Amino acid sequence: MKFRSALLLATVVFTTASIDAQDAPAPAEAPTTSSVPGDAATNEAPARNAALELAGAFSNDGYKIRDGYWFSSATSDTAPIIEVNLFTGNEYWFCAAAVPSESRIAVTVYNELGELVDQQTYADGARFAAGVEPAASGKHFVKVTLVEGAKSDFCLVYCYK
Amino acid sequence: MSLESRLTRFTLFVFAAVAPVVAEELPLTPEQMSGAIQIESVSIPTPGEFFAAINKIDRPNWSQLARNSLVTNSTSRPQIALNLGTRVADGFIAVEAQDGQQVKNVGKDIIDLAKGIGVSQSILARGNSISDFAENNEWNSLKEELEATENEVKLQMAEQKDDELITLVSVGAWIRGTQAASIVISANYQPEAAQLLRQPDIVDYLVERLDALPERIKSDELVKSVQTGLNTLRGLIATEPGTPLTKETVEEVRRETTSLIEKICGPAANPA
Repeated sequence: MKFRSALLLATVVFTTASIDAQDAPAPAEAPTTSSVPGDAATNEAPARNAALELAGAFSNDGYKIRDGYWFSSATSDTAPIIEVNLFTGNEYWFCAAAVPSESRIAVTVYNELGELVDQQTYADGARFAAGVEPAASGKHFVKVTLVEGAKSDFCLVYCYK
Repeated sequence: MSLESRLTRFTLFVFAAVAPVVAEELPLTPEQMSGAIQIESVSIPTPGEFFAAINKIDRPNWSQLARNSLVTNSTSRPQIALNLGTRVADGFIAVEAQDGQQVKNVGKDIIDLAKGIGVSQSILARGNSISDFAENNEWNSLKEELEATENEVKLQMAEQKDDELITLVSVGAWIRGTQAASIVISANYQPEAAQLLRQPDIVDYLVERLDALPERIKSDELVKSVQTGLNTLRGLIATEPGTPLTKETVEEVRRETTSLIEKICGPAANPA
């Protein structure tokens, strides 16, 4: 089931990437390398759009995208963490996108004891997704780590089914 | 981009997508866990998420949980906000029941209640969207639209300096969602389903937010009752991780949430 979602995601992103390569990019909303790291006012919209685009690939497989989002900053020294509450039986994908686009981030999910939970991952440039099926309902933690770059803004959304 | 490079890229995408986490990840420290942030629109699940998990275990008759229109003549803003939250949860129940007319009724109630606290203008379009999606049986879109409507109401509340009402909308939605779930689980007790009711961290968050309300709101009799009720519920649902609530405890949760719903919406507010 996860593989099906991942394959779908891969197909959608591949298609999107191909189209982007052939057509002129939309400069108004696309993350650009000229974005100033840490300039939240500038970075929030493109980061959110990129995260939603990634999550949108899963909606074709029945995932519902949460309306809320988390916009924050990660540095090489600081990996921000957010609490979420998950239910056993549901499947979740946490999708994050960083700005500037040359940043590389990773998303990891932990249970309420702080232990890493089994997860699938997907990485594409400045975008990263982690998929989990919680073994127990309750509090979980989602950490966003900057793996390349000194500082980056990012936006995280999640979807479930 | 050549076909070959596209295929290579495609393969990499697929590989990346299914690769498990291989990097060594240490567990979080207690400091990291206590320092984690909470954002209501991300950290608190929607009733839809809760119901989706229940559907994996059981297939309840959600339509039995429907309530008739409940817009009261109350002018109490805290009561209207709490009631509005319960109607958002009712929207998710109607979606699970795939009852388009009930979804439209609930959408209208949400707009009417929002008018009662002066935040209706921006959500009129949302009401139309809910109606259109219901007309076309677009159940997945409806779940997203209901949450977006709730968030838009909250945004408007924040803009008109009614931040304290935002918490009450969330509290109302959680109580009604938990009531519906406890009715369903009581009717056909299964430990796996009962474990889904174990949500002490959500209650802690909501109680903390109620504690932070201004005194004029906290002293409202209904808000005081709700706060007491949440503390009671906290005691019932705080089992050890992985431990389901007992059948008796689920029944207590049902009674407590039903009592709170009656206080918020009136005694005729509960399904038969």
